[in-house]
Amino acid sequence: MAERAFSATRLPGFATVAIVVFLALYAPIITLVVFSFNDANSVAVWGGLSWRWYQVAWENTLVKEAAVRSLIIATSAALIATTVATMAALGTTRRAAFRGQTAIYVIINQPLMVPEIVTAVALLIFFAWIKVATGYQGLGYLIAAHSAFCIPFAYLPIRARLEGMDLSLETAAADLYATPWQAFRRVTLPLLAPGIIAGAMLAFVISLDDVVITEFVKSGGQDTLPTYMLGQIRRAVTPDVNAISTALLALTVILLTAFFLLTRKRD
Amino acid sequence: MKKLLSATALLLASASLAGAEGVLNLYNWGNYTSPELLKKFEEETGIKVTVTDYDSNDTALAKVAAGGSGFDLVVPSANYVPIFVEKGLIRELDLTRLANHGNIAPEWVDVPWDKGRKFTIPWQWGSTGIAVNTSVYKGDPNTSAVFLQVPDELKGKINVVPEMNDIVNLAIMFVGGEPCTEDTEVLKKARDALLAAKPDWLSMDYGATEKMSNNDWAASVNWNGSSMRIRLANPDVVFGFPREGYPLFMDSVALLSDAKNVEEAYKFLDFIMIPENAAMISSFARYANGIAGSEAFMPEDMKTAPEVVVPEEFRAAGRFLPTCSPKATEYVTAIWTELQK
Repeated sequence: MAERAFSATRLPGFATVAIVVFLALYAPIITLVVFSFNDANSVAVWGGLSWRWYQVAWENTLVKEAAVRSLIIATSAALIATTVATMAALGTTRRAAFRGQTAIYVIINQPLMVPEIVTAVALLIFFAWIKVATGYQGLGYLIAAHSAFCIPFAYLPIRARLEGMDLSLETAAADLYATPWQAFRRVTLPLLAPGIIAGAMLAFVISLDDVVITEFVKSGGQDTLPTYMLGQIRRAVTPDVNAISTALLALTVILLTAFFLLTRKRD
Repeated sequence: MKKLLSATALLLASASLAGAEGVLNLYNWGNYTSPELLKKFEEETGIKVTVTDYDSNDTALAKVAAGGSGFDLVVPSANYVPIFVEKGLIRELDLTRLANHGNIAPEWVDVPWDKGRKFTIPWQWGSTGIAVNTSVYKGDPNTSAVFLQVPDELKGKINVVPEMNDIVNLAIMFVGGEPCTEDTEVLKKARDALLAAKPDWLSMDYGATEKMSNNDWAASVNWNGSSMRIRLANPDVVFGFPREGYPLFMDSVALLSDAKNVEEAYKFLDFIMIPENAAMISSFARYANGIAGSEAFMPEDMKTAPEVVVPEEFRAAGRFLPTCSPKATEYVTAIWTELQK
């Protein structure tokens, strides 16, 4: 009988390790979700089941404004970052290797490597000059900052997808007298779509989560959900923060499920 | 998509209009500003206040110092006010425009960081003391001995908040020294007291409001506002003011040098010095405010709260921690680092 192939699942203690890991990952989140339905004024003492904190959060105009602001910033940043990242990925993969390619990878992925606080302080100082010079205080700064640090998150899945795609398909299209635009529109883009969607989703979630850069770049009245929650936690945590977190969690799960179903059909 | 873009455009446009008449940008600690207060202010003056949160003095200082922050008012803690003044980030107030300036309680006028209140208006103040569950420990809570010479009943059940300046200075005052002292004899005694007590502590953590309400901790070094919330949830808990000396803190409102809405800012500062309005600030965040006569307008459970209304005998022991010299800071940091090991 032939040796069975190596599989991590048959190592001794695999189940134990898996259970411990899943508990460590999800137990805090489950606690958070459970206490969002707490009737008492506490995130640690159970006082019965209720929706009241969802109602409190929903009736809080600050929370609603912060949520809308977060969504506007995340959507704009995801759109801009994904567009730029798609162009960058096409420029760096659909051609022969060229001098300086590595340098370009490094530059594109810079936000992944530079500590976030460094970027935040740099942006704070840089935008302060512009704010003083122009007097403009709008959301543009946050959208620009978020777009910039979302680019590598959109870029990586798109590039991975492109590298797995056979260049001969486009060559074949060209052989059949397709113009470069037609080849791109009819061959490259449809094949690339799952990569683009994955990149956009990732960029959206990264932008939605961001605290440090937002905290430093935001102008008056521009709290996003995460910076609003951070401000709450310093004083006293009430379960409405749990309710908002649970709602955000639900949104993320819905997005990911939709993404999963969409891509499964495609493949 | 089109809808989203136009919504974005609208938001961009409306935000850039800030600076027009009738608006005010307040930059304050999170969860610290009463929404009812802002609503009342808008009803009376037509000025719409936008609040933006920060979570530390350092963040606030960094953003304001960078320039172009767009904020009008900021609420730094006592030991940060001199830094804001020194860097020219906040401006001296024109007291003739503040008719209610006389409402500041006498003990809060000549404060160490702002003699005569020329730069800052009181927002809220509180103290660091010790919350004790009396069903576990029946002894005297009004001494730092509760956490520095832990009584048997509390061994392994007491928490200490991880706030360097509060804890090290509580220990320094306990051994008879002055906050920010450079006397190495005193510092050594304080260090020894802390290191000897540490094995009896359960943890060094935040979150006393929760952990003492549900009896996870029997005692904790804690702040008075939080201790009041604990008592409302768990009536066995009392708040002790260490008689050897305990730190006080105060956050005060200041007008930024590059404020755009100066007229509105003065109206707001004058507004919060009316006792009835100051009481709204306190009833929201549960700390005292420093405006004489505001107690009368506070909710019943605060008027008599022993955590908020400091009993006469303990008043003198409360001390504002000054901005320490670099040398003193070095000593405090060294003790703290050793304690954390």
